[in-house]
Amino acid sequence: MSLVLIQLLNGLQSGLLIFLAASGLTLVFGILGVINLSHGSFYMLGAYLALTFTGIFGDVFLALALGIPLAFLGGFLIEFLFIRHLYNRDHLQQVLLTFALILVFNEFQQVVWGSYPHSIPAPSYLADSVRLTEGLSYPVYRLALMAICLALALSMVLVIQKTRVGRLIRAAESNREMVEALGFDSRMIFRLVFAAGTALAATAGMLAAPIESAYPGVGDRVLIVSFVIVVIGGIGSIRGAFVGSLLIGLADAFGKVFIPQFSSIIIYALMALVLVVRPTGLFGRA
Amino acid sequence: MLARPNPSVVIFFLILLTGLVALPFVAGTYPIKLMTRIIILATFVLSLDLLIGITGLVSFGHGAFFGCGAYAVYFVSPESEAANAFVALGAGIALGGTAALVVGAFATLTRGFYFIMVTLAAGQMMFSLFHDTDIAKGSDGAFVNVKPELAFHGTSLLDFSDWHQFYYVCLFVLVAAYFSLFGLVRSPLGRVLQGIRANEVRMSALGYDTYRYKLAAFTVAGMLAGLAGALFASIDGFVTPELFNWHQSGLAIMMVVLGGAGTLYGPIIGAFAYALLEELLKSASIVGPLIADHWRLGTGMTLVLAVLMSPDGLAGFLNWKRPRAIRASSGGPQGENITIRAMHVSKALSTERLSKNFDGLRAISDISIRFAANRVHAIIGPNGAGKTTFINLLSGAIAANAGRVLIDNRDVTGWPAHRIARAGLGRSFQLTNIFSKFSVRENCALAAQSRKATMWRLLDSPYEAPEARAVDRALSVAGMAERGDLVAGEMSNGEQRQLEIAMLVASGADLLVLDEPLAGMGPEETQRVVALLRDLAHDHTIILIEHDMDAVFAVADTLTVLVQGELLAHGRPDEIRANQAVLDAYLGREAKAGAVA
Repeated sequence: MSLVLIQLLNGLQSGLLIFLAASGLTLVFGILGVINLSHGSFYMLGAYLALTFTGIFGDVFLALALGIPLAFLGGFLIEFLFIRHLYNRDHLQQVLLTFALILVFNEFQQVVWGSYPHSIPAPSYLADSVRLTEGLSYPVYRLALMAICLALALSMVLVIQKTRVGRLIRAAESNREMVEALGFDSRMIFRLVFAAGTALAATAGMLAAPIESAYPGVGDRVLIVSFVIVVIGGIGSIRGAFVGSLLIGLADAFGKVFIPQFSSIIIYALMALVLVVRPTGLFGRA
Repeated sequence: MLARPNPSVVIFFLILLTGLVALPFVAGTYPIKLMTRIIILATFVLSLDLLIGITGLVSFGHGAFFGCGAYAVYFVSPESEAANAFVALGAGIALGGTAALVVGAFATLTRGFYFIMVTLAAGQMMFSLFHDTDIAKGSDGAFVNVKPELAFHGTSLLDFSDWHQFYYVCLFVLVAAYFSLFGLVRSPLGRVLQGIRANEVRMSALGYDTYRYKLAAFTVAGMLAGLAGALFASIDGFVTPELFNWHQSGLAIMMVVLGGAGTLYGPIIGAFAYALLEELLKSASIVGPLIADHWRLGTGMTLVLAVLMSPDGLAGFLNWKRPRAIRASSGGPQGENITIRAMHVSKALSTERLSKNFDGLRAISDISIRFAANRVHAIIGPNGAGKTTFINLLSGAIAANAGRVLIDNRDVTGWPAHRIARAGLGRSFQLTNIFSKFSVRENCALAAQSRKATMWRLLDSPYEAPEARAVDRALSVAGMAERGDLVAGEMSNGEQRQLEIAMLVASGADLLVLDEPLAGMGPEETQRVVALLRDLAHDHTIILIEHDMDAVFAVADTLTVLVQGELLAHGRPDEIRANQAVLDAYLGREAKAGAVA
């Protein structure tokens, strides 16, 4: 019983965390129409930024305060240098360029941080475990992480639904020409969205660093799982990404316990199932 | 359509091939091993171009079939003796092909981004299968202790552990694979695959079951990838789950695009260019230790630049654009060759209580109507009346909620679009829908070929002559006989609409369902197409939607008026003109203005 409860918490926690990365991916694909394979690299670089900044400031949350704006800036720059040339090209070229960016980022990581895994300490005030029931305790940091992810998810929905920028983003998604005809600079909207997507992936990486440490290729799994979530939830749908993330998180957590040999297959099986029932994802438009 | 490579490409490859054949005579073991690896890689990448460049399927899981081929060699190799080389390679083809058939059966149901993701997921599933379970020694990989050989009565004819022999085997496989694929792509089957890449909706409206074709392409590509994988396993005698990894598939896509997708030879260039670049950047003696240590940075940056600077890939440098045939002056009257043809009894179409709802809204309700054979029937009605929905129901583009559609009393309700097309119903779309990069003649040839659309057609004969006749006839009926070599996308909108009609005629359809065939045409073009439609009624039944009332009354034998998804009136033009309900509901203002009467 306590095993079920633990895995339930673990599943929710990893689902909420991966939601940050997946929502960034679905935003970028839904609005810019760009398949961004380098999304996982931003997650990885986030984890390494957390390593460096935590080393300097001694606290992963201070690392976040500096890391998020930096990631936003980085995304802004990458959009300006590379991505903006891809909007009118076909998906193949996007796949190719962002794949090449993975090679570059991986090597950048090797040059700067080397190939050994590094662990990152959780803040000392959150390092304890809290007793939930008799014989069941759970690390406080993970609970805090869930709260932070939820807060970020909520604020993202608020920004998109309630603010002027959010309204522009939604408008640009449904009809880019019209937004331009109304006098808005859609290039700037795109750049902001890409930067936000990058920042979301990097934030996920930074938050996850004290749990899973920083190592080369840490972003690979995140990338693929995020894609699976985007497909399950429906392309461009934040709500879909949220439901998909929780589904995947829970399926993975319980799969690891009950069918360990096939646990890595279970998320793909889930995706296949969803596609058979709803070919455009749970919340996708036909 | 895939053309023969131009002379500069042929010369380039002759030089390359001569160099490769001569290599073992001048080079030591290391260059031979390296080249063997690259040649196998090129074969693998070539197989992916059949999907990406030819059929338009961006598979992100192609590495899985390469891995299957490699593991097949491990499975058929006995512990301490050599497997028969034919058995080993055959097993690679079989396992790669079977895996591709199974994955493709699901993946080709999806399109675009979803297809990319489903193939990626399939590849990762196979990676997990070999990585996490011990069906083949798990994550450590497995050894093929003795490489395959071919022996006859104890004499060794072919031994894969001999580097020179193995090198030539691989080179032979690459050359053979290129020519087989080249032949396949230029065969009737291959033309259909190219048609699917250019415009899948049109292909299916022409009567091709595109799912089966895509699955066939996916399987063939998987077989070739499996063959390449089987050869790969014989290089080091070592197989690892990493072969399935999505990085392999990503690299393969990259080489296809780097070389030039859709040319077949481009991906071979891409594989050589990438592998040699990697080798160069890794050699510390040439580029210095600093770059050699971080060679991935160099390849990554080179690729980024390659994408940004050359969208057509490296093949674009070799294969410069041939000057296009000078465009014939268009728009001149070409109606003289419309000849009086013998009457031919066409097919009738009727609907019984046909209904369609969209999310509870009734788009079409309870329409029962009969369109007699060899007549021109026009469907009119205000915007939103459900005209296009109605013909989408007829052609099988969407499924009805209730009611029946009959072609000559044969119930075709619920049939998929391609099957209805085979039953003799050809349609055009509201927006011009042709293969814009193909020539006019190629467009019609694809349509004509759908008459005998047995899938595995690799030879033009015995249908070549009848098909060519059908194309000629269609072009001349449509008044386009002199424009056969123009690239369809470069013609005027009016000419493209005419081409659509010519394609339908070439396909041998009896029932022509046309969605606004006159849209966007000038008065002269309109007149010509009206004459063409009248003429086509000799041997066709025509159902059309049209807004140009003058043209409608000039061309139609019957008029059907739809208002808000309901049948308001159906009858001869003079009856409709006198129908008070129609005048009130639809023609009212225009009738008063005298435009109709």
